Amino acid sequence: MGEAINFGIDLGTTNSAIAKFVKGDVIIFSNPQDFGRNTLPSVVAYKKDKITVGSKAKEFLEKDPKSVVGVFKRKMGTAESFKIKSINESKTPIELSAQVLKELKTFVNTGENLDAAVITIPASFDTIQSNATKDAGLQAGFKQVVLLQEPIAASLAYANMKKSTEMKDGQWLVYDLGGGTFDVALVKIKDGEMKVLDHEGDNFLGGADFDNLIVEKLLIPKICQSYHFNNLESDMKSASGKYNAKYYLYLRRAEEAKIILSSKTSAEIIVDGIEDENGVDVDIEIIITRSEFNELVKNYIDSTIDMIKKIITRNSLKPSDLEFVLMVGGSTYIPFVRNRVEEVLQIRSNCEIDPTTAVAVGAAYYAATKQKSFKNEDKSNQNSSISIKASYNKASKEKEELFAARVSGDLSGLNYRIVRQDGGFDSGLKKLTERINEDLPLVSGTFNFFTLSVYDQQNNVVQTDLEQIGINSGFAISGQPIPEDICLEVDDYDNPGKTRLKLIFQKNSILPLRSQSISFPLNKGLIKGNADDYIYINVLEGSHLALPEANKGIGFMEIRGNQINRDIAKGSDIEIILSISESRDIAISVYLNMADQEFKQTFNPKERHTPIDFLKEQVDDLSFKLDQEIKEASDKEDYETANSLNRLKKEMDVVNNETSSLTSDDVTDKRYQLEDKKRRIAQEIDLATKNKRLNHVRDNYFKMKEECFEMLNKLGNDHERKYYNDIVSQESAFFATNSPIKIQEKSDELNSLLSGMRWRSPEFLSLLFEWCKNNKVKMNDQSQAKSLIEAGNISIENQNWDRIGEICRGLLNLMPKGTTNDVNTRIGFGL
Amino acid sequence: MNEIKLINIKVPQVYLDLVNQIFEIDKKSSNIKEENSIKRNINKIKNIFEFELFPDLGFDYHNPLGEDYSETRTDCEATISGTNCENLEIVEVIKPIIFCSAINGNQKHKSIVQKAVVVVKSRNN
Repeated sequence: MGEAINFGIDLGTTNSAIAKFVKGDVIIFSNPQDFGRNTLPSVVAYKKDKITVGSKAKEFLEKDPKSVVGVFKRKMGTAESFKIKSINESKTPIELSAQVLKELKTFVNTGENLDAAVITIPASFDTIQSNATKDAGLQAGFKQVVLLQEPIAASLAYANMKKSTEMKDGQWLVYDLGGGTFDVALVKIKDGEMKVLDHEGDNFLGGADFDNLIVEKLLIPKICQSYHFNNLESDMKSASGKYNAKYYLYLRRAEEAKIILSSKTSAEIIVDGIEDENGVDVDIEIIITRSEFNELVKNYIDSTIDMIKKIITRNSLKPSDLEFVLMVGGSTYIPFVRNRVEEVLQIRSNCEIDPTTAVAVGAAYYAATKQKSFKNEDKSNQNSSISIKASYNKASKEKEELFAARVSGDLSGLNYRIVRQDGGFDSGLKKLTERINEDLPLVSGTFNFFTLSVYDQQNNVVQTDLEQIGINSGFAISGQPIPEDICLEVDDYDNPGKTRLKLIFQKNSILPLRSQSISFPLNKGLIKGNADDYIYINVLEGSHLALPEANKGIGFMEIRGNQINRDIAKGSDIEIILSISESRDIAISVYLNMADQEFKQTFNPKERHTPIDFLKEQVDDLSFKLDQEIKEASDKEDYETANSLNRLKKEMDVVNNETSSLTSDDVTDKRYQLEDKKRRIAQEIDLATKNKRLNHVRDNYFKMKEECFEMLNKLGNDHERKYYNDIVSQESAFFATNSPIKIQEKSDELNSLLSGMRWRSPEFLSLLFEWCKNNKVKMNDQSQAKSLIEAGNISIENQNWDRIGEICRGLLNLMPKGTTNDVNTRIGFGL
Repeated sequence: MNEIKLINIKVPQVYLDLVNQIFEIDKKSSNIKEENSIKRNINKIKNIFEFELFPDLGFDYHNPLGEDYSETRTDCEATISGTNCENLEIVEVIKPIIFCSAINGNQKHKSIVQKAVVVVKSRNN
């Protein structure tokens, strides 16, 4: 037995599609150039050097009819041909259909060579038209073409969807209302044989007419009611009219509204973006109801029903002789279409198949039953000798990059096409010549991949030796990587009064860099006008796992009270964006949400910015910290650490003295030298005390883990257990980093898990409620606090714990923000 | 290695709807003549969509207004206004190009998940 054909093609007047039968099911190939769609507009555009088929060609159909051809299916089998101005040649409907079929071949991503297919034809096609379709298939490179009538294909799709191996004898109508054409056919099945008995159609009726009606009959009159226009309709519809661009915009909005009306009873259309004759901006929302829309399209739908009536009369049938009306074509999604057919004809409408792909699906089912009448040849011709030597910049900051290639081998009859992998660019099919030059548009900030494919005359892929084309845009591949992490010094909420580092750019990131905006709540307020009040933003270079003092400051910015236009409260947000240019300029942009004020500063590493006051403060802090560490190590009888720290103490004292003696307007390099020394000492302290910090965070982690485990057993849910197990399973990995910060992060995660569970614990909630009661005096709104506490007392009596949780949240919201933070740390839950 | 393969990512329509709304606000806010900082909030929301909302997925959009248009631009669905179709420029953007970036290992892949819907017009008109 031969191989089955398996491929089915709906070669439609307006849209085409391709499907394949695979192991009992049919897959519809999606359009690689028009993702999300399974169909290809049956339109072909010719330019001097290339052919474009599909939606891109369709865009130019109306405006460049001399070079772009559509709806040529209607002319199949006639002697008429289309004169194409751009190439100064005529193309027959057969040749144009062959182009569509070739394009459909590129949908097939399974790597198969398409040599046979079932192609559908309208029920109205005569022998000449049918043969012309077959011819188009052969021209497109198929060795075998089997034809199938569209209503039968749709019926097959339905039958297969129903999984009825054999349909019962009977007859029905196939009602096919697409974007631009309408067809209806009477289909009969008898003794397992399905055939079309009669048909009617209108080649100029479809969904596009409905969009037009919405704009013309609803939008334009309503706009003119509220605004002054002399002749809005003609100004919109005329190609040279001043509102012509808006006409297409509103057509699109009308189409969207039409789609919404298929599922909802009303839709709104926003009309804006134009000025009326008096210079008033048009800005109205027009509500269109389903009944208004139904009224608009009624005459059109009734005309389709008249055609059905003709068929019924001609065939001496009663509506009850027909089982159903099978709905095909995108416009049959409109409920009114289905309801009107049912209402007038009293025949059940059947909407069980996908109206846009049913014909291709049916064709594929049919193809599965048809055998290939020839044997597959060896695919040796695929090993082509085409060699392509390409030359292009692998990194570019331009919007477009020139791709040049030299091609060798037998190029006769071959075409090429370049597409961008994200679907944003398609060169169209172009003749392959010895030299190719193409401007490739790039999406910035990403790696752009392009594929150059070579096709033979039948659009079969010809293998070449060219790899994928990759161009990095936005940052140069040869750019410089940063040698160290770049961090921001932020408050360490776990150790109040201390700071930690937040990684902004990781070591080896390629310049230029720009961070996303980083938001923090401020840990203190700023009073307007008070120059002594300040917040600082400190950018540091060095490992993000180290102590802030151990890293090199590369950007520093202060915002003082006298720079702001209103008081800033503690807890309000600050947003920071950092960027580093290729020449290492560091720009900091700081935005204070509450003041709606932005501060910007650019630092050049050559001009190291080290304010002396800030340096003194840091040296004092470090000196104090060193004393504490020495004391702690001596108390613990850790003499080894204490000795190393004592050695550092001497150096620290020198730095301390020298810094103290600096005047704030010192112009020498002394401050930088001292800063370096300070940093080196901090690094040494970091090293000497790392074990201590590690032990501390480890202890903390295990304590948190134990508490969490207990709470999980009492109150945990599956999600929390999974979260807990995930953290615990990574334990060995994050302990192996020996980084206190990493381990602390995991403790924090456990802590937040614990907090979540605590809010379901009666003990915790009673305790929290008591705490809130005791702190009532601090609350902002005493009367609200009182009523919440009264409600809380009742809920405690009733043991209504959900309610108590809500009340506690309410009470905490009444506390000043700072107090809430204290509560968080003291009672040990995060909000 | 020379066959056309595109990365097709399907994302829930509701995300695209949200991004389209941000684009609309962005467009409308740029018409406000009085000084304001709405743009900052928009940028923040865009930032959240691009980097923060999902751990390994991000959405951002591009407004191609004023850019050149030709049939090679498969990132836009265009309607041509006017009579001429040479030297085309995008004059109206109804929906923006929406990109979805997915992080796979160390590599960031960017795909178009919504083509722009635009009206174009010849500069020669």
